[in-house]
Amino acid sequence: MGFVVEQPGVLTTVQDGGRFGYERFGMSPSGPMDLTSFEIANLLVGNRREESALEMTILGPTLRFTAANVVAVTGAPLKPKLNGEDCPMNRAFPVSAGDELALGAVQGGCRSYIAFAGGLDVPEIMGSRCTALQNKVGGFQGRRLAKGDAIGFRSPAAALPHMERRHVERQVETAPLREIRVVLGPQEDRFTREGIDTFLTGVYTVTKDFDRMGCRLEGPVIAHREDGNIISDGMVTGAIQVPTAGQPIIMLAERQTVGGYTKIATVITADLPAVGQCKAGDQIRFRAVEVEEAHRLLRQQEEELKALEAAIHAPEPAAKAPRCYRATVNGLTFTITLTECDD
Amino acid sequence: MDGYTLRYVGDQALSVEFEEEISLPVNRKVTALYQALAACRIPGVGELVPTYRALLIHYDALRTDLKALTAAVERCAAHLDLTKLPKALVTEIPVLYEGEYAMDLEEIARIENKTVEEIIRIHSQSDYYVYMLGFAPGHPYTARMEHPFSFKRRAEPRVKIPGGSIVVQLALSDIIPFDQPCGWNIIGTTPVLACDYRKENPFLLQAGQWIRHVPIDKPTFLEIKRQVELGEYRCRTYEKEG
Repeated sequence: MGFVVEQPGVLTTVQDGGRFGYERFGMSPSGPMDLTSFEIANLLVGNRREESALEMTILGPTLRFTAANVVAVTGAPLKPKLNGEDCPMNRAFPVSAGDELALGAVQGGCRSYIAFAGGLDVPEIMGSRCTALQNKVGGFQGRRLAKGDAIGFRSPAAALPHMERRHVERQVETAPLREIRVVLGPQEDRFTREGIDTFLTGVYTVTKDFDRMGCRLEGPVIAHREDGNIISDGMVTGAIQVPTAGQPIIMLAERQTVGGYTKIATVITADLPAVGQCKAGDQIRFRAVEVEEAHRLLRQQEEELKALEAAIHAPEPAAKAPRCYRATVNGLTFTITLTECDD
Repeated sequence: MDGYTLRYVGDQALSVEFEEEISLPVNRKVTALYQALAACRIPGVGELVPTYRALLIHYDALRTDLKALTAAVERCAAHLDLTKLPKALVTEIPVLYEGEYAMDLEEIARIENKTVEEIIRIHSQSDYYVYMLGFAPGHPYTARMEHPFSFKRRAEPRVKIPGGSIVVQLALSDIIPFDQPCGWNIIGTTPVLACDYRKENPFLLQAGQWIRHVPIDKPTFLEIKRQVELGEYRCRTYEKEG
């Protein structure tokens, strides 16, 4: 038992940390578009960071719980309501069988997450529970959730210790103009100097063609030395392809594994979540950093997550030992035990 | 060993590029580097993705010292030994070249000014090299080394062709794993699955091997299809001569 989908929202899928090990066979990892928000949702409910959870897009679903559990909502800000009452983002809270959780619409950004203690009961395919929508495999029947779908919990927890610690102060980037940092290349030498300058100074607008595969941008035309074609080679998440027409496309979680267009730059891993929070009309300015700087930023992000994990799981302060007194009154000996109160 | 170029691909991957051409000798370098790196299990190195002329090396930046990784990759790339490549495998792909399963076969024959039988012979009597997989899961990019056809893509791509279609242009031939749009000519259909998620290893082929198309008739096609559905069919695979 877990929950039934009463309203599916715009695009709700089961995701986990991603399906790795099959890129050389043509299968990209999929997984969450904003990995950081996803991982925080899992940490708040005591899960492994890569545990299965739901990704919601623009308009979240309404879920009717059929079992008690502890859940947490993160990512793009929503106004979730539990049985009609406001409930918090970025904080774990309990739900009971029969409760209705309406996640509502994002108030900025694009993608939100809800994690469930113990994870979701969908089959593991090729080592992962994430949905690859393009390949119609994984997650819940290889597709987005629809009204009436029922998904079970794997090992729900009616309660978790330290509920007061299970929250985080956090806002995802929702500014209409975002700076996204990139490492130039691998094919920056296929562009003219002016082409690179255009890319790094222009403002690019997210078009309506943005999905889990990629994000097409529109802005000043980036000039190639010859054209935008190369002998197809491998691709990473965050690769920025520029076909001959000169408009960039950021390749995301469900990208293809190989591509035949010139890649001018690659979004640094630490900024991929910010791209995952972009939707049509948002604007992006790119800034180039060295790979060492990208690594420093990634380590910094990792330390923040580790600190959150440690704060949730910090050991209880040692209980104060009770003190025992003996008292003799009128020839009778009594023992009196005193224990200091917490407050 | 000839030159190679090592490039950063963002902050969690490297690419080693060999000569800028699609050829067997260049792709064999990619395969050799893939096998060398897979064998030496460098800490922090993740997936390796071989393509026509480059190997993409994913790494975990939180577990990897970039300088040490770069040095290890360069050591491998500078000492590739193509003589140590294991014998290439050939997997036989049964193909029905007939009727609605070979929608463009007659048109191909007309363009090439040959009989349908001659076209089938050309397609089924060469081994095709699998340069890489991509586009869709299990989708091989394969080519024969001789007798290319003269045509490229169709003037109008089709919105959807069925999974199992064998499509061709020039010396290239691909197996389409799932229904998809496609602008290539359909020469036949195979009953085997290039990607079967029910299997522990869903993928029929891998980069660096060969395939051979084997003509079958309709009853054999239906029988193989039945066995494939039951998960019982295995394609014949053998070591390539020479």
